[in-house]
Amino acid sequence: MLLALMLCYGGFTALCLSMDRHHTELLGHKPSVRRRHGLKIAGWILLALSLWAAVSKTGWSLGLVEWSAVLMLSALVLVLLLPYRPRLALSLAGLSLLASPVAALAQQ
Amino acid sequence: MKEGFRQAMAWLHTWTGLIFGWLLFAIFLTGTLAYFKDEISHWMQPEIPARSVSSEASLALAQDYLQQHAPGASRWLIDLPSAREPGLSVRWQQSPAKQGERGRFTEKRLDPQTGTEVQGRETRGGEFFYRFHFQLQMPYPWGRWLSTIAAMVMFIGLITGIITHKKIFKDFFTFRPRKGQRSWLDGHNAVGVLVLPFHLMITYSSLVIFMSMVMPASILASYKGDVRAFFDDVFPASSVPELAGKPGQLAPMAPLLERAREQWSGGRVQRLTVNNPGDANASVVLVRDSADRVVHDVSSAVTFNGVTGQLLSSTPQQPVAMAIAGSFYGLHMGRFAGPVVRWLYFIFGLASTALIGTGLVIWLGKRQLKHAKSAVMPFELRLVEVLNIASMSGLTVAVAAFFWANRLLPVEMTNRSDWEVNSFFIVWGLSVIHAMVRRGRNAWVEQLALAALLFCAVPLLNALTTPYHLGTTLPQGDWMMAGFDLACLVSGLFLAWAAWKMQRSGQVPVATRQRAKPITLEREAN
Amino acid sequence: MKVKTRSLPVSYRLAVTSRVLAAVVGGYVVAALASVSLTMWLPMPRAEAVVTGMMTSFLVYLCAVLWCFACRSAWQAWLGVIVPSGVLAAISGVAYWLGQS
Repeated sequence: MLLALMLCYGGFTALCLSMDRHHTELLGHKPSVRRRHGLKIAGWILLALSLWAAVSKTGWSLGLVEWSAVLMLSALVLVLLLPYRPRLALSLAGLSLLASPVAALAQQ
Repeated sequence: MKEGFRQAMAWLHTWTGLIFGWLLFAIFLTGTLAYFKDEISHWMQPEIPARSVSSEASLALAQDYLQQHAPGASRWLIDLPSAREPGLSVRWQQSPAKQGERGRFTEKRLDPQTGTEVQGRETRGGEFFYRFHFQLQMPYPWGRWLSTIAAMVMFIGLITGIITHKKIFKDFFTFRPRKGQRSWLDGHNAVGVLVLPFHLMITYSSLVIFMSMVMPASILASYKGDVRAFFDDVFPASSVPELAGKPGQLAPMAPLLERAREQWSGGRVQRLTVNNPGDANASVVLVRDSADRVVHDVSSAVTFNGVTGQLLSSTPQQPVAMAIAGSFYGLHMGRFAGPVVRWLYFIFGLASTALIGTGLVIWLGKRQLKHAKSAVMPFELRLVEVLNIASMSGLTVAVAAFFWANRLLPVEMTNRSDWEVNSFFIVWGLSVIHAMVRRGRNAWVEQLALAALLFCAVPLLNALTTPYHLGTTLPQGDWMMAGFDLACLVSGLFLAWAAWKMQRSGQVPVATRQRAKPITLEREAN
Repeated sequence: MKVKTRSLPVSYRLAVTSRVLAAVVGGYVVAALASVSLTMWLPMPRAEAVVTGMMTSFLVYLCAVLWCFACRSAWQAWLGVIVPSGVLAAISGVAYWLGQS
């Protein structure tokens, strides 16, 4: 479940950054059109990958449940961190993405 | 109503949310606690040890016990130990229940290692919260009807909330704290949208769980009034073979466990029901552990003849419709959940509770701003304020009181389990009175502070009244007991923080608060 | 509802009450009849059709309730509940009669 969580959190952060308002809040300037698109696509791909990570380990039944849980948890964590610890929120996303290949290997 | 669709939905959301909010808060809080009902029960009966023993050994002990103590009973029930419920319990029904009535059972807890009776202090334990959240301490079937009606209103509240929340995607990641009413609304929206799959699942599944009771029209029409036939179709193993009238020796049941597992390609047996144990046509029904899989399958029970061991009925393939209903049931109950997912269920349950709570606070807060200048609140708003306080902080104090009563009431006291429940309701009632005589903010602070004190002190109380406190449970690794103490401590700290915030926000001068623009739901809808 | 007057007019309260009744009672009737219609017409074994009908009935109830408050007047609320009830009752009736013969 850890891999799915990491990918989900990273995906949500990407989607969050793809929005003008949040990008400005977190990184100080509005994103270019290319960056916005890139972040959106990256975000959705990461969410899809997290679904694959959840389902491949435990099957569809339990996997879908775990994926939904991970989705909701990572969204809550991100939205709670954003106003209080924005830098932590972003670095967590970075760390998650860096650590995810390790988690993927550990899951095999 | 003439102002447009969104406005109408906002109106509906606001009023259904208010009128049913207090009840729904109680349902959701107790329901959330119920996810840890086994752990709560274990803490409330610390004398009963948690030992893991094989199913076969426990079953043999249970069978011996029942053969000795209830040979002439019409039905035996044996609940085998599991990871979360390490007790072995047996029940028997001396004579069959009349058609349509619930049977009367005698229940005993056995030590899974020795087969002797264990006596923990008499308590309802975590079952109290579980039963309360759908029966509401009302006589059968009124409580279930009311809680299911509340569930339908919750469903309407969720959907109207989604419709009303115009910027549901734009504001997906938006939470702006420290901005008064704005923050409460952001919080309400955040906890609503981000945990929406859970809210919808829990609400709709609770409707499905009681659908036979509240929406029986299709049963009556399709089965021409023969409701029994419908239930026999859905629960094939519940039909009991006719009494032979001749006596029969019940064979040892332990080998049946393996045969059932063959039928299920793995899995565990959770419960055995023996019908007419002394009879030649005695039947043994083995029910699968619902923790085995997400989808609850009521037809997965396997039935054997108790004397000959002949297979009477096995697990048919679960039809799609039943599988869908079973999914709702299984997802709601969450029995399949391991420790991590179970904690997530708990967190999301608290989120649903917070959704309702923030809604109630916002409802009142918005209207209080309009009356901030005058010293006296209109009666309706004062009523809402009292109900808000009593149903939220008052309920929390009552939960703490329930745990305190468990430790303070003498173990040998008669009807002590009833008195634990009475303590819960008495304290809840007192919180209503307290909320009536104290001014709003003071009542909040005092009740939250009291709840904080009571919860933080639970580990201390535990140490003073039993030997199963953190000093022994942590080194031993008894995580069920230690976890409860620690969870109470953390809850107490959270409540203390809430009380402190409440106290502080009362100290901000009224002028600065009024400068914040009053946010209206109608404006949000635009 | 941004009504500035101290108390709301009686006609308003009557209209709201009417809508509530239409939603609660009428909505239940529509939902029940919808579940019966679905059950009678679904080409599945009886028990499965019943379970399907019951599970979907709550969605119908939801739509009925939303209609009763979204429509322009209390009269329309009742109309929106009575007409579908009639249609669904007829559909169920046909299925029942077909099943009899």
